[in-house]
Amino acid sequence: MASLAQASTALSTSCKPTLQALSSRVSSLKSVSFSITGKRFPSLSSRPGRLQVSCSAKPETLNKVCDIVKKQLALPDTTAVTAGSKFTELGADSLDTVEIVMGLEEEFGISVEEDSAQTIATVQDAADLIEKLVEKKA
Amino acid sequence: MSFTLRSVKVPPNSVSLEEARHRVFDFFRAACRSIPTIMDIYNLQDVVAPSHLRSVVAAEIRKHSSVTNPKVIDMLLFKAMEELNNITEHAKQRHHIIGQYVVGREGLLQDTGTKDQGASDFLKEFYKTNYF
Repeated sequence: MASLAQASTALSTSCKPTLQALSSRVSSLKSVSFSITGKRFPSLSSRPGRLQVSCSAKPETLNKVCDIVKKQLALPDTTAVTAGSKFTELGADSLDTVEIVMGLEEEFGISVEEDSAQTIATVQDAADLIEKLVEKKA
Repeated sequence: MSFTLRSVKVPPNSVSLEEARHRVFDFFRAACRSIPTIMDIYNLQDVVAPSHLRSVVAAEIRKHSSVTNPKVIDMLLFKAMEELNNITEHAKQRHHIIGQYVVGREGLLQDTGTKDQGASDFLKEFYKTNYF
């Protein structure tokens, strides 16, 4: 629960400064093209109320996912669990994959649907799915 | 009494191994999602962690991982669902859960320190599992 609150506050605080800068710039310039470092807001001019953030998984989420995977598969600390490593490469069979997804569900307090769970093959997939669900929940 | 909270419906037999596999994973997900309830019912918060219970369930599933007949898998799943229903509707008691799922085989034997010194490796393996 605490980790979820932290993740949501981190997301909102990182978005707010850029949003304020954007709104001031839009009101003064009234132009669509502006350069923002980092995130893109494609639909901001049309619907100013709605915020669309398309960023890849945050590193802290990724780290947590890696930790859970390592603990679940009982890997020694020497093996490198990177974002692109597949679960099957790390020695997990299908039941292990489901168990890892369940562990992530418990850790982040989310609920993964079955068909989205089928598509998870790498660590990066899992982290992205978690991000999406956390955002939807918050 | 509501003894059939999650009614044990008997669906038609799985057509293929693939469908049986899906059912196994569905059962595993249902079991994992009911673990917080179980820990609540039997007050297991200080005794065991949810991850341990998850791995115990996974180990039970893995015990039969070499079965290939879908009907046998269905039968095993039926028994598993029945067990899960019994546990979640509090038809069991705390010592049942602790003895069957929290304490492993080693836990029961770890008191017999000096008695086990003379036991052969064959016996130790024999106590652990059928297949070695």
